[in-house]
Amino acid sequence: MELGIVAFVLTNVLVKGLLVGFVYAIIALGYTMVYGVLQLINFAHSEVFITGGVVGFEVFRILGPSPMNGYLKLAIALIAAMIVAGFLNVLIERLAYRPLRNAPRLVPLISAIGVSLVLQDVIRFLEGLAGRFNLVYVLPDVFTQRAFGVPVPFSTAIVPVQGKDVIVIVVAILMLVGLTYLVNYTRLGRAIRAVAQDRTTSGLMGIDANRIISLTFLIGGALGGVGGVLFGIFFSKVDPYAGTIPGIKAFTAAVLGGIGSIPGAVLGGLVLGLLENLIGVLNVFAQVPALGFLKSIGAEYKDIGAFIALILILIFRPAGLLGRNTTEKV
Amino acid sequence: MSLLEVKGVQSYYGHIHALKGVDLTVGEGEVVALIGGNGAGKTTTLRTISGMLRPKQGDVTYAGRSIVGMAAHDIMSLGISHVPEGRRIFPQLTVRENLDIGAYKVSNRKLIQERMDEGFALFPRLAERRTQLGGTLSGGEQQMLAIARALMVDPKLLLLDEPSMGLSPKFVETIFDIVERLNRERGTTILLVEQNASMALGVARRAYVLQTGEIRLTGDAADVARDASVREAYLGG
Ligand SMILES: Nc1ncnc2c1ncn2[C@@H]1O[C@H](COP(=O)(O)OP(=O)(O)OP(=O)(O)O)[C@@H](O)[C@H]1O
Ligand SMILES: [Mg+2]
Repeated sequence: MELGIVAFVLTNVLVKGLLVGFVYAIIALGYTMVYGVLQLINFAHSEVFITGGVVGFEVFRILGPSPMNGYLKLAIALIAAMIVAGFLNVLIERLAYRPLRNAPRLVPLISAIGVSLVLQDVIRFLEGLAGRFNLVYVLPDVFTQRAFGVPVPFSTAIVPVQGKDVIVIVVAILMLVGLTYLVNYTRLGRAIRAVAQDRTTSGLMGIDANRIISLTFLIGGALGGVGGVLFGIFFSKVDPYAGTIPGIKAFTAAVLGGIGSIPGAVLGGLVLGLLENLIGVLNVFAQVPALGFLKSIGAEYKDIGAFIALILILIFRPAGLLGRNTTEKV
Repeated sequence: MSLLEVKGVQSYYGHIHALKGVDLTVGEGEVVALIGGNGAGKTTTLRTISGMLRPKQGDVTYAGRSIVGMAAHDIMSLGISHVPEGRRIFPQLTVRENLDIGAYKVSNRKLIQERMDEGFALFPRLAERRTQLGGTLSGGEQQMLAIARALMVDPKLLLLDEPSMGLSPKFVETIFDIVERLNRERGTTILLVEQNASMALGVARRAYVLQTGEIRLTGDAADVARDASVREAYLGG
């Protein structure tokens, strides 16, 4: 087969994989931060994140006809999504998890699944009231043609990169850098880590653990909100049930990287994004005589392949790629 | 008036009746020792004072004000630092970050830096290890860090739970020296829980002997040290 085609396909995998990977990473951070402080898997995070996607949709829809600068619209969408998703997450913790703080671990997990289902239908109901079922993003022109006002350099025949792709990556990286700084170098970040490592002792240091837990949900939810908007921009639409699969994948990414680890969540997201896009194009290589069997592996195997990879990695590294292999209580 | 008063305190762990009516007072500027065998309730007494545990009965007052039922983080803000049993260093925070966390309630950055320098002067070992993770320090170094961390708020009342546990004799002496200096130079009031009764009775002015959740004996440290039953049980005859 032609080398040019291979290069084309692989470059595409790389670009798409990184894009989706960054979106997964942002969402995965919400799972991993909450897990860090409460050892709880916040199954409602998939709906918190898609709520951000819905808010983003609404902002772009409402501002659509306005002549406002496209990047300003984006900023408004992101901020609105962060606020709504962040406070929604705080509310969920207050109502559904905090009262169960001392219950056996499975109980808040069930509560989380319940919240997740309820939220799906609340979103469906609210958008349904307005007669909207398929929330197709109305993106400003700048997003679909050029990136930050300039034509995307290598967006030629090889890989069709759009302005929105660059936006997804830039926003995601800004969020990741901001969060890393917050967690590692600020007073709040230290308190979050202290509460994650030893909640009782953090109280002796004067830290109000409940407040820190709320703030952690706020930050995780806000990141989820950004993830939702980026998801909507990237896939051009969201719907009330669209959070489930990417939610599971982001959770997978968090586990893959080592649950509780922030760099782990990012690495896990990128690995997962690249992997599933690679699996999605495997059938291209069926032209090579020895690899004929790949012909039947179509793009629909993306998800399955990613999860098989997850299982394999976890068999050999149960704590995840960057997780600590210890029994110590973190 | 005493700085700290514990009156008729009864504490439970589930159905386990750990404190069966404990009375003790600590005057401002005093060093008071609380000694007793394993499981006597010493740790439980400190936990009840610092708000980690809520007593079923009785009262704890600090500077004349009842603090029973307050959250640990609020009690700490009143000027009570508790160095807990087992040191409880944050394992994944560096030495510096552990000290920063100790100063969580201090907003003046200059003050934080000053106190950190004081801590490093008190324990030069920690200064060399400021970027090392807390969990990788030796037991003795962790004990130093736990004390230095508690001092970051310059507490009025310091609760120390077995600061000499697991330390070499030389470290033990260093720790008791520091306890004395804190009290003498800064006027810090100290309630000291110890298994090492002879050392504790050496630095304390007064002492309480706790046995199965009750105070068995109290008085001047020197008198307690001379008591026949204490000598037999805690001072090796
Ligand atoms: N978390 C807990 N759950 C149940 N029982 C406990 C708990 N902590 C302590 N106890 C019990 O309460 C009693 C008092 O324990 P405490 O830790 O106060 O003793 P101590 O005097 O500090 O002993 P040591 O010198 O061994 O540290 C003991 O009988 C102990 O078994
Ligand atoms: Mg004890």
